[in-house]
Amino acid sequence: MPPFLQFLLRRFIAIPISLLIITMLLYAGVMLTPPETRAAIYLPAPNAHQTEADIARLTELTIKKYHLRDPYLLQYGYWLKSLLQGTWGYSPTINENVLPALLRRTPATAELTLYSVLFFIPLGLVSGVLAGWRQRRGFDNTFRFMAFVATSFPPFILALTFLSFFYVNLHWFAPGRIAQEFSFQISDPAFRSITGLYTFDTLLNGRFDIFVDALRHLAMPVFTLSIYHWATLGRITRSIIITERHKEYLVAAQARGLTDQRVIWRHAFFNTLAPSFTSVALSAASLVTGVFVVEIIYRIYGVSDVIVRAMQGSPDAPAALGFCLYSIVMVLFVMFVLDILQAIFDPRIREDLFNS
Amino acid sequence: MRYSRRFWSRWQNWLAAILVLSFTFVALAAPFLSPNDPKKPGPLKVVGRSTETEPQPPSENAPLGTLPHQLSVYHALVWGTRDAMRFGLLVAFSTACIGVLFGAVAGYAGGAVNRTMMRVTDAFLTFPIIAGVVLLQQLWLNAVYTNGGAITNLYGGSGPKAVSDSAIQVLLQHVDPLTISLILLSWMPYARLVNTLVIELKKTEFIIAAHALGATPERILFRHLLPNAITPAIVLVARDVGSFVILQATFTFIGLTGNSPWGFVLAAGRDWVIGPGGTIMTYWWTFLPATLLVILFGITWNLLGDGLSEVLDPHRD
Repeated sequence: MPPFLQFLLRRFIAIPISLLIITMLLYAGVMLTPPETRAAIYLPAPNAHQTEADIARLTELTIKKYHLRDPYLLQYGYWLKSLLQGTWGYSPTINENVLPALLRRTPATAELTLYSVLFFIPLGLVSGVLAGWRQRRGFDNTFRFMAFVATSFPPFILALTFLSFFYVNLHWFAPGRIAQEFSFQISDPAFRSITGLYTFDTLLNGRFDIFVDALRHLAMPVFTLSIYHWATLGRITRSIIITERHKEYLVAAQARGLTDQRVIWRHAFFNTLAPSFTSVALSAASLVTGVFVVEIIYRIYGVSDVIVRAMQGSPDAPAALGFCLYSIVMVLFVMFVLDILQAIFDPRIREDLFNS
Repeated sequence: MRYSRRFWSRWQNWLAAILVLSFTFVALAAPFLSPNDPKKPGPLKVVGRSTETEPQPPSENAPLGTLPHQLSVYHALVWGTRDAMRFGLLVAFSTACIGVLFGAVAGYAGGAVNRTMMRVTDAFLTFPIIAGVVLLQQLWLNAVYTNGGAITNLYGGSGPKAVSDSAIQVLLQHVDPLTISLILLSWMPYARLVNTLVIELKKTEFIIAAHALGATPERILFRHLLPNAITPAIVLVARDVGSFVILQATFTFIGLTGNSPWGFVLAAGRDWVIGPGGTIMTYWWTFLPATLLVILFGITWNLLGDGLSEVLDPHRD
């Protein structure tokens, strides 16, 4: 097997292991509730003819079937099995099975995450490298000030400010995912939905007007989400390049008479990638939290919509548990993608993987 | 002393210290700055008729005006400061204690124990806070219901409250799902940081010497390893106080959970940012003071963190 595939496989196997640990912890939390509540995780959609007695009997059957009065490990095993079979339970508040409800809302979340990551990672890396290369000069001072402001400014206040200026006053951008008139056209059967991401689908269908409108709706959330992560990534990249700058290979490159631009971008830059990407991977969980918060503020009905509705009043264990698991899978996926990107770009890892 | 002279040589650090002191002052002096309504103590005080939905401009009773239902903005901000300081310090110090201990014990034990413990740390890193909040909120709701309690919504915005008199219900009233999930899900950076430092320190001569002198493991851990590994954690604590409070306000603002009075004021003032007629400053008191206060709070702790990091950890900056 080629080394790169081996690497992919090794990283991919790490995902189930993490999931195993975290689901065991999750279920340990769920064990604090009485068996009747735990049965709710498995119950199917109720139908109108069921009486109270029917539901009680069904609950009792479910408790028996999934061994909900048995020791922890056994229950956990049954729960894991039902998860893998796609039985994530039925949520009474949103009147839907949890897994399809989550999957249907994924494209909106994926689109927001994708554009934010594409926006803040390159920007953070480049500005961090430039700031650190010429420490305490003009650009560095500007960068440090902006990064300071960006990390201390609460994102939800930033969102409020954007909404009042760019939406209400200037009408440049708008909350939501797409304008009303286009949302009808998009749900029309003539419009082929391929990826679920509006920016991709509209281009594939050749509808530039809707594409521009989708971008107009993405601008504010993407910017709100990116700015904090841009600042943290930039700061870390900056401190890495400061320690890297005096390494011998860079001094040697400069002594050979290479231009500054070439030394920075051909030699130093790729060596800062590994630690920078690691730091982004470590904050993947906070990125996902940020995505959901931004979705809620800008009224983008993504995955967070499930909990916004489910958390309104009565307890809804299946929705909460499903959302929890789903967001953990999202974090693991982001980490996995970053790992792969790092392997492709970092020369030290790449040489090992492709040439051995 | 070398540290303190370096710290006080920068004006930013003076500013940070003054701001931290003023927030502390407001937090401690809240009962004098804005006395509670004796009938209904709490950060939300009604001045005037609570059925009146239009915010009223600043007056003698409410120096910063009122929100819809005539809740005093000034009162909420002052008591909110008290709440924010308590919440931020409590959560930041609890996470720091858990993380530092976990990381240090793992690093000192070394080998397979260290690998397993750090694997658990990594697993926790994949858990987004919002997911923890949602899950704990559900567990909490469940505990309230199964113990025979009920839930009321205080003014519809600042999170549900359990009502009943039994001991367990009173306990549940004082447990905030957000606080617990923040503590449970934020200790990992401390553990990782202290862990690498302890592993490095373990190889140094003074620890080997302590071993040779027959010091007990506890003594080595608490007397020699921890004091030398704890400085970067202090910087993190300073930054975290601000970010936890902002996170709490965020969750209150989006209406998920949390009892931040600041977040509540912002959520209530949200609809009045653009007043009738489309002008932005007509109802400025409903959103501007709270916004500025939250921003200032974030800046304060960030400044303090930056100042401390430059003094304690000069190589990284």
